[in-house]
Amino acid sequence: MERLSRPRFTDFDFWLLGATILLTLIGVAMIYSATACITGEPLDLSSPSLRQAIYLVVGLVGMFVLAFIDYRVYNALRWPIWIFTLGILAIVSVIGQITHGAQRWIDLRIFLFQPSELSKLLLILVVAKYMADHEQEMTHWRALAISLVFVALPLVLVYLQPDLGTAIVIGTTWGVMALAAGMKWRDVLIIAAIGAVAAPLIWANLRPYQQERILTFLDPARDPLGAGYNVTQARIAIGSGGLNGLGFCSGTQSQLRFLRIRQTDFIFSVIGEELGFVGSLFVIALIAFILFRIIRAAMMARTPFGKLIAVGVTAMILIQSYVNLGMNLGLMPVTGIPLPFVSSGGSSLISLLAAEGVVQSILMHQRGLELAGSGKNYE
Amino acid sequence: MNDPENEYSFTQTITEAQARPRGNFRLLRVGILIAFAILALQLAQVQIVQGQYYRDAANQNRFRLVQTDALRGIIYDRNGRILVRNVPAFNVSIVPADLPDDQQERVFQKLSALLNVPIDTVIENTASDVVGQLPSDIGRTVIPPKRKLGLRELVAQGQRDPYSPTLIQTNVPRDVAFYIEENHLDFPGVQVGLQPVRQYVDGALLSHILGYVGPIPSESFADYQSQGYASTDQVGVNGLELTYEKDLRGTKGQRYVEVDVAGREVANLGEKPPVPGNNLVLTIDSDFQKTVQTILQKAMDGVHSKQGVAIVLDPRNGNIIAMVTLPSYDDNLFATGISYTDYTKLAQDPLHPLVDHAITGQYPPGSTFKMIPASAALQEHVIDVNTRFQTPGTIWVPNEYYPDNAKLAQPFYDWYKPGFGSLNILGAIAESSDVFFYKLAGGESPNFNNGLGQDRLSAYARMFGLGQVTGIDLPGEAPGLVPDPTWKRKTIGDIWTIGDTYNMGIGQGYLLVTPLQVADYTEIVANGGTLYKPQLVQAVTDSQGQIVQTIAPQVIRHVAVDPQNLAIVREGMREGVMAGTSTVVNLADVAVAAKTGTAEYYGPRVNGNLPTHAWFTAFAPYDNPQVVVTVFIAGGGEGSLVAGPAAANILRAYFHLPSNSPLAGPAQPIAPPVVVHPPAAGTNSAPAHKYTGRSLGVDNWNAEQPGIFGTVVDATGRGVNGVRVVADKCDGNTVFSATTDGNGAFNFGALYWKDSLTWCVHTIAPYDSDPFTVQVEPYKRYTIQFVPTQ
Repeated sequence: MERLSRPRFTDFDFWLLGATILLTLIGVAMIYSATACITGEPLDLSSPSLRQAIYLVVGLVGMFVLAFIDYRVYNALRWPIWIFTLGILAIVSVIGQITHGAQRWIDLRIFLFQPSELSKLLLILVVAKYMADHEQEMTHWRALAISLVFVALPLVLVYLQPDLGTAIVIGTTWGVMALAAGMKWRDVLIIAAIGAVAAPLIWANLRPYQQERILTFLDPARDPLGAGYNVTQARIAIGSGGLNGLGFCSGTQSQLRFLRIRQTDFIFSVIGEELGFVGSLFVIALIAFILFRIIRAAMMARTPFGKLIAVGVTAMILIQSYVNLGMNLGLMPVTGIPLPFVSSGGSSLISLLAAEGVVQSILMHQRGLELAGSGKNYE
Repeated sequence: MNDPENEYSFTQTITEAQARPRGNFRLLRVGILIAFAILALQLAQVQIVQGQYYRDAANQNRFRLVQTDALRGIIYDRNGRILVRNVPAFNVSIVPADLPDDQQERVFQKLSALLNVPIDTVIENTASDVVGQLPSDIGRTVIPPKRKLGLRELVAQGQRDPYSPTLIQTNVPRDVAFYIEENHLDFPGVQVGLQPVRQYVDGALLSHILGYVGPIPSESFADYQSQGYASTDQVGVNGLELTYEKDLRGTKGQRYVEVDVAGREVANLGEKPPVPGNNLVLTIDSDFQKTVQTILQKAMDGVHSKQGVAIVLDPRNGNIIAMVTLPSYDDNLFATGISYTDYTKLAQDPLHPLVDHAITGQYPPGSTFKMIPASAALQEHVIDVNTRFQTPGTIWVPNEYYPDNAKLAQPFYDWYKPGFGSLNILGAIAESSDVFFYKLAGGESPNFNNGLGQDRLSAYARMFGLGQVTGIDLPGEAPGLVPDPTWKRKTIGDIWTIGDTYNMGIGQGYLLVTPLQVADYTEIVANGGTLYKPQLVQAVTDSQGQIVQTIAPQVIRHVAVDPQNLAIVREGMREGVMAGTSTVVNLADVAVAAKTGTAEYYGPRVNGNLPTHAWFTAFAPYDNPQVVVTVFIAGGGEGSLVAGPAAANILRAYFHLPSNSPLAGPAQPIAPPVVVHPPAAGTNSAPAHKYTGRSLGVDNWNAEQPGIFGTVVDATGRGVNGVRVVADKCDGNTVFSATTDGNGAFNFGALYWKDSLTWCVHTIAPYDSDPFTVQVEPYKRYTIQFVPTQ
């Protein structure tokens, strides 16, 4: 194992930090619009918007701490991290809070902790470690299968909560990481083929509400007041925003509560209605910008481990963003995946900021590698 | 550089410029760009291209045109008494979206106990409440829905529109409504609302006239919908509520509101207030109706009859003052949503309390019909007032095919078996001679060609309003039946015989009439030939009480009978009262003319004879008819014995005579009518100044209690209408009060002479006078006159 190095603060990606803070603040504002604006209640510690701002601060602190910790320490912590992930996911299925028929939260008194959000980042570390160690073998089935086992066990626990959305995110993230680690396209096709064959079996094992969501996605008019209601209302809200939007706290569909689950899953519909095409496009562009900055970190990573972590984080944010935006715009089924950095929710925001902290760590520790390896002082 | 093994070499220096995307990274970047471009395109599609569509959809979500119900019009009687009004009633609804699943069971159990609504839908036919469709045609036997929806099913149905309240129960008692309201935290999603319901103040007294409101009958739903009704609206289903639906319903208001997702109003953007329905002012006098009902019920009880009708109308305009059908029902039962049990009980009652027999009951008229053949025969010169017929107790009609075989001849009997001997038309009407009218209608043996004949008899019957609806402003009227040979051939399959004409001549056979038709032809005879459309409503007023429409008397036709011929019929009816079959109404105080009827019908025989309906129809005063009274008692027996006394009491009540006011002795000559002058235009606006009383004379009087009759005239000698005249025992405490009629006449028919022999009579301001003192004695009548003080 290489020696750990000192972080180089000049390599910290302030563009990434700035874009993240800006996006999160937009989220805080829109959560305020979707909650306090409607009820007219003064802000207090139970207000989602204020809490989101607090989570941002907490998450930023965590991000800086993680940025300064050399990411390579996680090399040694693979097993503890994996066991810990399995542990929190198992705990949630035992003592978790049940809401809307799913058991996803652990009550930590000050806030409801959602282990599956944190587990995404932790699994990225674990899988990245394995793939980095077996980079040459990723073209082989054996390594591929073993890396999948690291993911599969937690994935089953997540699926049983049931949280199909997170399961999809974890599974897809693994796929993207495997590709980056050298999995052959042929194997991708084979997995896809297996998936297609297994689809009816999966369908049969889906919960009725999950089947309903998929059917509703295929035909929203099927049950306009039931499952299709949210999809239809989201599109009405976005569409009525037009080019410039109706203004902050002025969207009719969100303010009159026609739009449901507005501060979480459908926060983008509030953005669409109140900030219009211009604002929505800006939010999408910000997300794309963040993704590109993380890809940049992946490319600059000096170790396969770092590269794979950054790729995993990219994949995680990309999939969540795309699925959530697609759901808001009627391009994807309703899966209950929050929009990264924007949707109200502490577990998600803090986990994402932590993931960025790891990415910053990768950037800040890449030059030290050369120092350690070649003895040359760079720059 | 493309060697992946070298890419991560620790010994190589890689600058940012060197780290350009390669291979999988390029693919990842391009993929992200494409994916986000798709999102942006979809965003543009939704927000820019389809923006207007979604803006409209958003507006449709939040803007509602809410209809506000108009209050239904109020119904008053002729004296301004309220007969129907709107009172608030509580109802309970559930907003399904606001009722949490885990509390549903608990709330259902509490509500079920409080509201008497089952939790699960029950299928039974003894359910105590059915929120369902009521049949519009109550005469038809319809079985209402047997399913009583339970709370679970109602709420499940409501889930289709989970944010709107689903009606659970109407007419919730006040204390239950208050209990739910006070404990609303225990009843999440449960709402207590107010809605106006009709209250029929007098209940069963006026049910057949007023009718009731109810849900829109399903068979005419489309029709109502096209007139702007909502499916939950209440409409008039029967009676005046149905006939005057257009006037009573009012105009709905509209409000344009912004609502949130729960349907709660956020902003009121514009309002058009509802216009309350117009009010009806009836011709009915409800106090008098009550009196008539009591009298009729008593008369029916006396002969154990279960059905009866009494009609009082004004022959001068066709206004109906009272119309009672017994048995009746309480229309409030319908106004508040009738229960299945109550409805079945009413609908299956063999006495048909839901049916208004006054306009839908069809019975043989019996001898009351004789006014029509009498009028017809006089008009057609079949007889004149001097024509006399021999009236033995029985006459024979030879068999049509064997005219010479006396054994096959058919006997026709008079009700009075000894026969009356020789009678003219006056005597025949007075005694109600059947044989006279057999001969008058069908002619005499051997040729039977000197009578009125069937065709003219039927034609006059129709002219007098039979065989057709009277046109009263109530739904469901029956036309009755005027038979003729064609009808008989088609219906009975037999030819018309002389016997049929004979029977029809005395109001028997196939002839069928409704009680209202009898009142109508009595009216024609009384008023000298005019058939008015019977009317129950005299005016329509708006909610401010301003008259919108005065419903003028409507003449259906003037019958083609000369007034002097009708006068002969009236005279015969008057003689019948004084010394014939109708002496039971020979009131001492008012000259009454009347005709009895005892109509046979096919039913269980009584003492070997067919059972009979009792009829009595009368008008008064004889000289100047103001009122027609028709009484019908089903299965009542003799008209003169059963229906007659009831008519007498109704007349007493109408003329404000005490219920024990005396009858005139049978042979007493009628007191000479008070000499009055014909009314002239402008009599109502006579100058208001002092009047002075004077005596015009004293005559003998067949009642023990003395009477004071008189007139109020103006300076030109014309009678003054509408003057209040009071009589007291010269102590200033009014005992009797009267108002002068069109001739300026008033009367105090029966003074309590044992109390006081000195009575003071004076007129009331603005026609005030000093008291005029009359010393009275029994069996005397005093005629006085008030003239303007010189």
